[in-house]
Parts: sequence; C-alpha cells; structure tokens
Amino acid sequence: MGAEQAWLLAAIPGGMFFVIAMIGRWLPRQADWLGILTIATTFALFFVVLVDFLGTGDGLGPITNSMSWTEIGGFQLDMGIFVDPITIVMLGVITAVALMVNIFSVGYMKGEPRYFWYFALLQGFAASMILLVMADNLLLVYVAWELVGVCSFLLIGFYWERRSAIEAAKKAFITTRVGDVGLLIGIILLWREAGTFNISEIIAFAQDGGYGSTYLFVASFAVFLGAIGKSAQVPFHVWLPDAMEGPTPVSALIHAATMVVAGVYLVARLLPVFEIPEGMMLIITIVGLVTALMTGVIAIAQTDIKKVLAYSTVGQLGFMFIALGAGYPDVAMLHLMTHAFFKALLFLGSGSVILATHHNQEMDKLGGMWRKMPITGTTFLIGSLALAGLPPLAGFWSKDEIWVVTEGAWGAWATILFGVAAVLTAFYTTRLFIRTFMGNPQDEHVYEHTHETGPVMWAPLVFLGVLAVVSGFVIFNEVGTALGFPGGFTEFIFLDEPHVYSIHWDFAAASLAAAVIGIFVGAWMYWGGRLDRATAFANWQPGLFDVARNKFYWDDLYQAGVDRGLLGFSYVVSWFDRYAVNDTGVDGSAQTTGYAGFILKHIQTGKVPNYAMGIAIGVIVLTIAGMAARG
Amino acid sequence: MAVEVLWWLFAFLIVGTAIGVVTARTVIHSALFLLASLGGVAAMYVLLLVEFLALVQILIYGGAVAVLVLLALMLTRQAAGGEPVSLNGPQAPFAALAGIALAAVLVGAVVASSWPAAAADGPVDVPFEQISEALFEDFGATFILVSILLLVAAVGAIILARQEDAD
Amino acid sequence: MVPLENFLALSGILFAIGVYGVLARRSAVLVLMGIELMLNAVALNFVAFAAYLDPGQFAGVVIAVFIITVAAAEVGLALAIIIRYFRMQATSNVDEAAALKW
Repeated sequence: MGAEQAWLLAAIPGGMFFVIAMIGRWLPRQADWLGILTIATTFALFFVVLVDFLGTGDGLGPITNSMSWTEIGGFQLDMGIFVDPITIVMLGVITAVALMVNIFSVGYMKGEPRYFWYFALLQGFAASMILLVMADNLLLVYVAWELVGVCSFLLIGFYWERRSAIEAAKKAFITTRVGDVGLLIGIILLWREAGTFNISEIIAFAQDGGYGSTYLFVASFAVFLGAIGKSAQVPFHVWLPDAMEGPTPVSALIHAATMVVAGVYLVARLLPVFEIPEGMMLIITIVGLVTALMTGVIAIAQTDIKKVLAYSTVGQLGFMFIALGAGYPDVAMLHLMTHAFFKALLFLGSGSVILATHHNQEMDKLGGMWRKMPITGTTFLIGSLALAGLPPLAGFWSKDEIWVVTEGAWGAWATILFGVAAVLTAFYTTRLFIRTFMGNPQDEHVYEHTHETGPVMWAPLVFLGVLAVVSGFVIFNEVGTALGFPGGFTEFIFLDEPHVYSIHWDFAAASLAAAVIGIFVGAWMYWGGRLDRATAFANWQPGLFDVARNKFYWDDLYQAGVDRGLLGFSYVVSWFDRYAVNDTGVDGSAQTTGYAGFILKHIQTGKVPNYAMGIAIGVIVLTIAGMAARG
Repeated sequence: MAVEVLWWLFAFLIVGTAIGVVTARTVIHSALFLLASLGGVAAMYVLLLVEFLALVQILIYGGAVAVLVLLALMLTRQAAGGEPVSLNGPQAPFAALAGIALAAVLVGAVVASSWPAAAADGPVDVPFEQISEALFEDFGATFILVSILLLVAAVGAIILARQEDAD
Repeated sequence: MVPLENFLALSGILFAIGVYGVLARRSAVLVLMGIELMLNAVALNFVAFAAYLDPGQFAGVVIAVFIITVAAAEVGLALAIIIRYFRMQATSNVDEAAALKW
C-alpha cells in the first residue's frame, strides 16, 4: 500500500462506524475493543503512508488519487485524495490523539449508557476528519466539514438527558452553521470563476490572477468565516466553551485537538489564495489576536476546569491564525501539532480528575489532587507548562516561532499584543494547575473519595505527556532530518520557499520571560490555594472582573440579538402571516368567494322554466349575432 | 295550384293548432290540439312526397305518443281541486316575447338567405324502397343503436314508473 | 310550386311556438307537448331540405325517422319521470320542482 491508497484511512473507521452502530450493542464489551482496534489500524496505516510519502523523494510534491464522481453537461466533478505535508501532519495528529482518546474512553465511559454508540461516533468522527484533511477538492472538504460538524453535534449532545447538553449541542451546530454558510458561499464563488473545485487548480487559478481583486477578497473572506466558525474564533467562539457538555474525552479529541483546528487547516491549505487579496492577512491576524487576548482574560475568571481549557483552546487557535496571518502555514501547523498533544493531554487529565472526583469539575471544590493522583498530576503539570510555553516543552518552540513570524510580518504592535496574550496564557494555566492540584483540598468530602485512575486512563496521559515534551523538537533541522523529514518541520511544510528555522535568542528570551512572568504572578496570587489576593484584585477592579467572568458579554449579546432581532423579526413575520397572509389572503379570499356566492345564489331559482328561458335567450342572441357577423 | 292551396291550408292548420296547444285552458284540449297539429305535419310530409314518413308520423305520434300523453294526464291529474286556475307560469309574457323573437329570427333568416335554384322547383318524389335501403344499409349501425336506445328507454320507463313496494 | 322557403318558415314558426310552450307552461306534461312541437318542427325542416335539395340521398328522411324514434323514447321516459315525480310530490308543475336549489 502506498500513499495513493490513503483513502483507506478514512474508509476503515467509516465502515466501522456503521458496524459498531448497528451491531455493537450485542458484541462483547459493547465493541469498545473494536473501536480501539480500528483506530490502531488507522494509526498503523498512517505510518505506512508516511514512509511511502517520504520515500517518493520527488521534492515532496503532493500525491493525488482521484476518480470521476459525476459529470453534468460539460462539467466534470472529480473526487479524490490529496496527500501533502500538511495532510501528513494532520493525519498523524488525528490518528495519534484519536487512538489515545479511544483507549482513555474505555476507562472514562465505563458503565455509561449508549457505550457502543459513543465508540461508533468516535469512529465516525475519525473517518470524517481524515476525509476532511485528505480531500482534494472543496466540495468534498465541505461534505467532510459538515460530517465532523454532525459528529461533534452528536457527541456534545451525548448526554441528551441533560437539557444543558442539548442546548450546547444546538448552540454549537447553529453557531458553526452561520460560518458554514459563509464557507459554502465562498466555495461557490471560488468555483464560479475557476470552474473547478480542485484545491490545487483553484490556487493556481488565483495565482494566475484569474479572480478579480475584490471578488477574491469576498470569496476568501466567506471561506474565512467558515474557518473561524469551526475554529471558534471571535465572534463565533461562543459555542466551544458550551461544547464542554460532551464527555471529556470528546472534548480532548474534537474540541481541542482535531475538529476545531479544521479551520486552521482550511486556511493553511488555501493560504496562497488568502495571500492575494489586500488586507485579508491583516484580518486573519487581527481575528487571531483579538481572540487570543479576549479568551486569555476570560479564562482567568472561569472556575470550571474544562471551561478554562476550552477558552485556552480558543486562544491557542487564535495563535495559529496569527501564524497564518503572518503567512507561515508551517508554523501554524507546528503549533497545531504541539497544541493537539498537550491540550489533549490537559483535557484527558482533567477527565481523569473529573472521573476520580465523581464528576466534579469546579476548582472551588478541588485542590491538592496531586497527592492523590500523582500520575495525572505530573502529566497535567507537563501539559500546563507546555501550554504556558516553558522551554524545552513543545509549546515553547511553536509559540516562540509564531511570535518571531508575527514580528516579521506586522511589526511592533502585533508583537506586543502577542506577548500580552502569552503572559495571560501562562497566568491562567498556572492558576488552573495550582487551584486543582496543589494547596489544601477545598472540599474534604470530595478529596477523601479521590484516588488515582487505572492504567487504561493514565497510559494515554503518559504517552501524550511524552509527546508534549518532545514534539516541539521537530522544529530543529537536525531532528527533522534524523526522523526522515528533509530538513526540519518548517522546511517540510512550505508554500513557495522553505522557511529555514534558526533560533532567535531575543525572542526565545522574551518568550521565556513571558512564560515565567505569567507563572510567577499566577503562583504569587494562588500559591497554596490562597484566594485573598485574587479576591482583592477582583474587588479593586470589579468592572474588569465582571467583564471577564461574563465572557465579555458575548453570550448576552447574542441572546439579546436573538431575543430582540430574531424574535422581533419572527414576530413581524408571524404577524404578517397571521393577518396579511392568513386572515386577508386565505380567509379573505374564501370570504369574498362565499359572500359573492351568497349574493349570486339568488340568481338561481332552481326552477326549470327559468333556465329554459335562459337557453332560449341565448339561442336568439347567438343567432342574431351570427347573422350580424355574416352581414 | 291545388298543391299550394293545400299547403297553405295545412300550414294554417298546423300553426293554429300549435298555438292552441300552448294556449289551451285545459290540458285535455292541449293534448287534442297537439294531435291535430302532428296530423298536419303528417300531411306536410305527404306534400313533400314522403308518404312513408307521414305514415310513421301518424302511427307513432297520432297513436302511441298521444295515448301516452293522455294516460299521463290522467295519472297526474290534480286531486279534488280539479284543474289549476292557470296552466301558464309566471314568466309566460316573457316566454311570448322570446317565442316571437325566435320566430322572427328564424323566418328572417330563411327570407334573408339565398337558396339554390332547386329550392323553387318543388319536392322530388322519394320511393319507399330507396328509403329502406338507406335506413338499413347506409345507416344500419345507427339504426341498431337507436333500437337499443328505444329498448333502454322502454325498460327505464318501466322501472321509473313502477310502483315500488320497498320504497 | 311551393318553394322551400315556405316549409322552412313554417318549421321556424312551429319551433318558436314550441319554445313558447316550453317556457310558458307550468305542467310538465304541457312542457313535454311543447318539446314535441319543437321536435316536429326540426323533423319537418330536415325532410324539406332532403326533398328539395338532396334527392336520392335520403339522409334528411332517415334523420327524421330517428328523430321520431328518439322522440318516442323521450316521451316514454319523460312521462315515466313525471309520473314518478307526481307520486312523490303530488304535483307535476315544473316551477314547483326546485329541490335542487341552494
């Protein structure tokens, strides 16, 4: 099997989705082993694809394999796969994290209802996501895009007995749907001029100047809307924190590591198109910066550990968009990969805590967990430090590189804002770790019943912990070459020219300083489980604290928009329907007809002679008319 | 000349008795006028040299139909109150206007039209045999259809007029 | 000789009288008599045309035969209906038969 058969990676879990969904209920252990086996196979196949891809040696050009799907008139629609370095990275991340999450879920979801359905959905999601990153044309991308969306919807609403889960699932689906409409419009606009959905051909068409400047701006902006909807960037970020209603392993897989980075992937894939219209890259950068800063502030005021991680995810996705806005998909993909590992680690670690404390995810009732759960605590610390950006963990390298390229692309203002976001990240991460794992237990009852989770859960944590430590090193040319990549990670993925990595000591120092400042301030404020300094700060600036705790009022704004705007409009439409359409149009015409009938029925005597008279008069008149016509 | 005299005689007879049919005060008188009027039409057939039709007319109308009508009159006679005061409906004046107008239109149309020269020559004699040939050969299928119609009508009339016990 | 127009005019007048009878009379039997007059007028018309303008073809004559036949059938049926109606409603006046009205 070569890279041309990479479609098997999507086909195998896709088929197993149906198998597990249909007969999993009656299989031993409700088919969880089947799910793990499926993903493990996929993970193994990924290495086959990787080796084959690296072995082709023709400058790492994309490997494609497509077939004609349908032909309408003179328009031929091809469907196929497209394997290039970006796809390879995405495949590796997806299969690795999916495997870990599947294993972890065996422990986490033990005894839950619809156990088999959960595993079926994991396979379905994996298939859709793999299809998404391999699709060679935008129409297939859109199909897979919606498939991952529906899997996300089903998994967020997995506990559909809970009203909040249903609401969150709907919110996620509708919010991303708003962006998806933009994506569809964008795809259609791109197709309309180019006459093809093929991504490579569209890029080539755009680079040849086939699109008008304004036209391309509108089209790429519409695609960008879909990307930020899926990747939960401002102003579409509101769904991701609510999506934490789903099972925690799902949050790790879908809402941290894979699906939410689909937007980043899409923009990275189409970055040559985004680079052409003026101002588009600035918009991407600003959206990323605003998201990173805002979610950094919001995360500080959250007490639900999963919500903190959710806002952290949104912020890190913002970092990736900043890298894309600077024009460096390689850097974005690097951060995507490292983030996928350490954020999946953090989510799974929080899942471990939640399970150990019998579904307690409020910081106010945790604390001191490290003593009870040494493995979870240690791996969580690694993940936290990676997120905070402390060298030599993975997060440091990718974040540092984003900072470098941001400075290179936009200059001082973006650099400073990025630094602030980095400090905020380190600060809330420290707060999260200290309040959960250190200090004295806040709730003795919860604390007493806590114990370390079993190996089926901590083994994935350890695996991801190792990746969170080492995955950043691929940025070095020597490491990359040693692993078989030509050059480092940044030379592996490039658009026109490879971006050769070299350490910028000034940025490395600043990055380290940002992480240390954030960690130090966080430790100073919360060390030992103390809250008095945080409370004092909240009292000193109550307005700022309220804004952060209320998530910058985005949800209230949207709720108001729905209440006032949408419902108001619905009221007008409903009024129009009731009175104008129904009462006047439907009932009115019926009444007019009825009244006319009431008037006209008096013409009808029901007496035959009268009708006969009518006939006679008709005959006379017609005869006269006929004769008159003949002259 | 004699034919023309006869024609006018019968024409006046037909029109007069027809007016009698529609204006008579009693139903029985109407029926008798109708009989006379139909007899006049039979005479017209003779003047047109189609004696066969004249015979049919007298046999069917003068015999069967007239008897039927009289029978119906007896069956539908109003109860003790006898004949209704007026046999005409409320729209009789308008009916008169319509009738006169129709007559004017029809006669006017006949007068206004130009006819072929043969129209002034008088009727051509029609032999019996040729009529029967036309009736049974050229129009054979139609004849059968009309026969079936007559049969159905007869059966239907019987069913309709039957006194139903289980009504 | 008597010209064709005379027969046609006579037929028209007879038809008009029949129409008047149909329109003016109340009793269904009398209405039926009006109809008979109209049918006779039409038959006369056909025969006159046949005798004057269509010698040797007899279509008009044959149609007159059919008219008489159909008229007989119609009279039979109509009288049956009238009798039936009279039995049900104790009247044969057409202007009282308005049950189909709204």
